Amino acid sequence: MLRLNRSPDRLAKSSEPHLQVQGVTYCYGNTAALTDINLTLYPGERVALIGPSGAGKSTLLKLLNGTLTPTTGTVSVLGVPLADPNPRRRRALQQQIGTVYQQFHLVENLRVIHNVNAGQLGRWPWYQALWSLVWPQGIETARQALARVGLPDKLYSRTDRLSGGEQQRVAIARILVQDPAILLADEPISNLDPARSHEVMTLLTHCGQGKTLIMSLHALEFAQTYCERLVGLREGKIFFDGLVTAITPQQITQLYRLEP
Amino acid sequence: MSQSRRALLGFLLALPVSAQAKPLVIGAIPDQDPELLQRLYGKLARYLETELGVAVVYKPVTDYVAAVTAFRVGDLDLVWFGGLTGVQARLQVPGAQALAQREIDAQFHSLFMGNKKSGLRPFQDLKGLASLKGRTFTFGSESSTSGRLMPQFFLQQAGVNLEDFKGQPGFANSHDTTLRLVEAGSYEAGAMNEQVFLKRSETGAVDYTRIQVLWRSPAYYDYHWVLNPTVQARYGAKFAERVQTAFLQLDLKVPAQKEILGLFGTQRFIRTQNRNYAQIEQVARQIGKIK
Amino acid sequence: MSVQTVPRSFLLNPLLLLLGVGLFLILSRVEQPWFNPDGWPLLAQFLSASLQPDLSAELLMITVDATLVTLAYAVCGTFLSVLLGLVGGLGSSAIWWELVLPGQKGIWLVLRGLLAIPRGIHEIIWGIFFVNLWGLDPLVAVVAIALPFGAITAKVFSEILDETPRQPLLTLIQSGVSPFVAVVYGLLPQAFLNLLSYGFYRFECSLRSAAVLGIIGAGGLGYQILLSLQSLRYNQLWTFFYALLLLNGTVDLLSALLRRRLGCTPRIALPQGKLRSVRPQGPVLLVVSLGLGLLVPFCFWYIHPDVSKLWAPHTGELLAQLGQSAFPPELTMTTLQQLLPLALQTLGMSVLAILVAGVGGVLLSFPAASNFRRFLGMDAPWGWLFLLGVRGVLLLFRTIPAPIWALVFLFVLFPGILPGALALGIHNLGILGRLMAEGIENLDQRPLQALPGASPLVVFSYGVLPATLPGALAYTLYRWEVCMRETVLVGLVGAGGLGRLLSEQLSSFDYRGMTATLSVLILLTFLVDVLSTQVRNQLRYGINTRKSGIIKGGS
Ligand SMILES: Nc1ncnc2c1ncn2[C@@H]1O[C@H](COP(=O)(O)OP(=O)(O)OP(=O)(O)O)[C@@H](O)[C@H]1O
Ligand SMILES: [Mg+2]
Repeated sequence: MLRLNRSPDRLAKSSEPHLQVQGVTYCYGNTAALTDINLTLYPGERVALIGPSGAGKSTLLKLLNGTLTPTTGTVSVLGVPLADPNPRRRRALQQQIGTVYQQFHLVENLRVIHNVNAGQLGRWPWYQALWSLVWPQGIETARQALARVGLPDKLYSRTDRLSGGEQQRVAIARILVQDPAILLADEPISNLDPARSHEVMTLLTHCGQGKTLIMSLHALEFAQTYCERLVGLREGKIFFDGLVTAITPQQITQLYRLEP
Repeated sequence: MSQSRRALLGFLLALPVSAQAKPLVIGAIPDQDPELLQRLYGKLARYLETELGVAVVYKPVTDYVAAVTAFRVGDLDLVWFGGLTGVQARLQVPGAQALAQREIDAQFHSLFMGNKKSGLRPFQDLKGLASLKGRTFTFGSESSTSGRLMPQFFLQQAGVNLEDFKGQPGFANSHDTTLRLVEAGSYEAGAMNEQVFLKRSETGAVDYTRIQVLWRSPAYYDYHWVLNPTVQARYGAKFAERVQTAFLQLDLKVPAQKEILGLFGTQRFIRTQNRNYAQIEQVARQIGKIK
Repeated sequence: MSVQTVPRSFLLNPLLLLLGVGLFLILSRVEQPWFNPDGWPLLAQFLSASLQPDLSAELLMITVDATLVTLAYAVCGTFLSVLLGLVGGLGSSAIWWELVLPGQKGIWLVLRGLLAIPRGIHEIIWGIFFVNLWGLDPLVAVVAIALPFGAITAKVFSEILDETPRQPLLTLIQSGVSPFVAVVYGLLPQAFLNLLSYGFYRFECSLRSAAVLGIIGAGGLGYQILLSLQSLRYNQLWTFFYALLLLNGTVDLLSALLRRRLGCTPRIALPQGKLRSVRPQGPVLLVVSLGLGLLVPFCFWYIHPDVSKLWAPHTGELLAQLGQSAFPPELTMTTLQQLLPLALQTLGMSVLAILVAGVGGVLLSFPAASNFRRFLGMDAPWGWLFLLGVRGVLLLFRTIPAPIWALVFLFVLFPGILPGALALGIHNLGILGRLMAEGIENLDQRPLQALPGASPLVVFSYGVLPATLPGALAYTLYRWEVCMRETVLVGLVGAGGLGRLLSEQLSSFDYRGMTATLSVLILLTFLVDVLSTQVRNQLRYGINTRKSGIIKGGS
């Protein structure tokens, strides 16, 4: 495994890490999807996760937001282990992590406002959350978020009637409302045309300002344009990890080569 | 009348009434035409109201078992039971009292009826029941004393078991139905309440060209009023006597009361007591209607 | 269509064995007289009265009231059963427990298993049970519907929830939303229309149940029909019949219309795999919620059940009393000797009933499907009349409660399992025929178009029949379990089997004996359930055991 200059020194000194992965292995049944992953992300970093299909990118992101629990090793968020047995504390931690998916995962039968509000549900008491379905709450916040993603007039549209690009922007508006410290994105642009892709990437990196952003990408040029650090995954292991400027084209070719 | 309309009425009256005591709820086993029962018990309820000075409500019941169960649960306070159901009810509600009955109820009879075309002939002796073997036969309701319990008892004594009939015996829900079924020939023979038969006969509702009486059973105790002991707590310790007196005082000379007596088919009500039903209880245990 | 082929081992399966046993049992009783020709005149009277229903003002008043009572029982019962179903459905769904206690497997399986108990007991038995607690209160009928139907609804709801795409829900969970709120936002909106559609189907079933409950004295049309049938007042009887037909016909029609508007697939033609989230057309939801908002309170007001009895201390005392008199069940050698032949008879009755219903249902479902005329080239106006006629017959069959059918058959048959089986068969035929017709109408047209130029008869026998039969068979097998539970009903009016014994024990207040009989009956129901599930799996009809719950109906 190649190990190039580790995370940028300026950030390493400035503060505590936002995300820390220590010795994590994850197995689906008997097959290991990830083995012995170590990764540290500092506030404000923009990291692209690249690698061939099946390398384990989605699995890593799922470990980072707590969907999956590591088979061995720990994932810590803001210095706290994510695998907290107390559901309340774990939920409070998860509110600091926002995730954008390739398939958006919006609730299509609900109107846009409710999907955007989904970002702040974690902060509302349950009765307010229920009442909001009848009488939408937090309209101003939702409106501003939609305005920022360029959909100011879609507040009450039906989600299933939006185009793919619009739905992706609603998903981003949801994250804006959630306002997490860490932003994860799993192939956020693979369903969009190049122009929309640039829009979405700009949005993500913009709203990610001051936040830690880690996204899996297949489009290398986007990774190099919008991120400053590249993490290459291959067969469940970290293949390289370093600044965009430091990764050589040979390394990239090696990462994607077909035979082992 | 229908439950819902009563419910509706109850709902509208609920607030003013609930402040007062719960009314005395009377009921009856549904052994006859329900419309007739409704008329009869409506009049009786009004009479009892004036005599006892408490609100009286009639609640129609749809079957024998429900009447007994409602009595046990406390939904019914004063019920006109048959011999068997009365015993069943008193066994389930300790302290319940048989109060009054009609004169005929102390000397009640069942009739075995036969369809004319069946070729069955009237007979004088209990042994004659053996001629029913191999015939189709219908009882009245399962829990009826005069339509089922006592007829089955007499059949047993004559050596006729339920398997001896042609096909399985039927169970008609009321005595009127038994009469009609045997008359129409659906069943060749059947057993029913003598008093109901006599009333129908009086009004010309029996077609003697098609049906005949085969045999009149020996006498036994049947219908009677049973009072739930819980009413004593509501209306005072002497309430049972007052109810009994109210029945005994029904007088043919007073037109309104004459109508009630007429509907019950009697001249007057007489006293009765739990002890009179020892024989019924014994027969019921033998046949398995009381465990 | 390879998944729908019937495997050869089908010929050797336990179902056929059972059919044999059932038929043998029935035939072995035939040497006893079963036909009573003397009853013809009364039957003729009964039938001819259909042309002269009693239309006097007084009776019409009673009819309107009775109709409203039946409707109100059904509405209140459905409302409560859907509430129970929502709570129980979420509580027994796999997804809920994965959210709340991740890693703990199988809790939901246990809970779903527990739901089988209230489900295995017929509404009428619940009714009899609750009369012992609450007397003559309308609450009895409402809860007697709500409890078993709530359990069925819970099971189906949990399956719907588990088959709804869950990614949006998981996304919410990942961003730290509590499970309950996440389910309300992420799962329910997607499952909602499927749930609603099932709720409507439940309502159709509740309506039939409300009529049946009249027979134990809950009032309404069922009660009036029973009363006038037993007092031989046929002209009045037919007035009530027509009212019940009108009520059921309207509800079935509305419900079918609504389900189509909601875009839901009929239960019998379920797609394989995940449930679609469906889209309503037009302001259906608004109309439905307005309708329900008015109807439910009105119905509760109309029958006015005394809800306070649910938690009254007196209820507790009576329950304790009942428990004491019903336990331990009387399971001595003699009672077992009495129960066993009756259990076999009951099984035979259910087999005969489901045969009548299945064969009749398949035969009548084709002419009852609106697209059937095309195959036979019957586009003439009389084709429509024919269609309406067949549908009318099916409606009549399923509308008249099974015990009433039994009483009609008792005109010309001696009490025994035959009239009971015929009554159950006819009633279920009406239900099956309609569902199968719905399945035919929703048939995948592509295989049919692959037979261009073929004569209608060829299209029918090579295209339509093979595509519909497996589904029809699977549903018939499911319905067998329902028939088993319903044997109690016809037993109560004098048809044979365990139901007859139960009725005798009931009138003797022999609670210990009743507990024993009921246990045997529940055991039989489970047995039939297991058997029919197995055979359905063998059929390898597209839906597997877990999904088959969706097509589960009720009485
Ligand atoms: N639910 C699962 N059960 C079993 N194995 C799985 C599961 N999900 C993923 N895997 C396996 O884990 C490995 C990593 O999968 P993952 O989805 O993380 O890859 P990826 O890098 O995201 O690929 P892609 O670029 O195609 O999205 C693969 O070998 C995959 O087959
Ligand atoms: Mg992936």
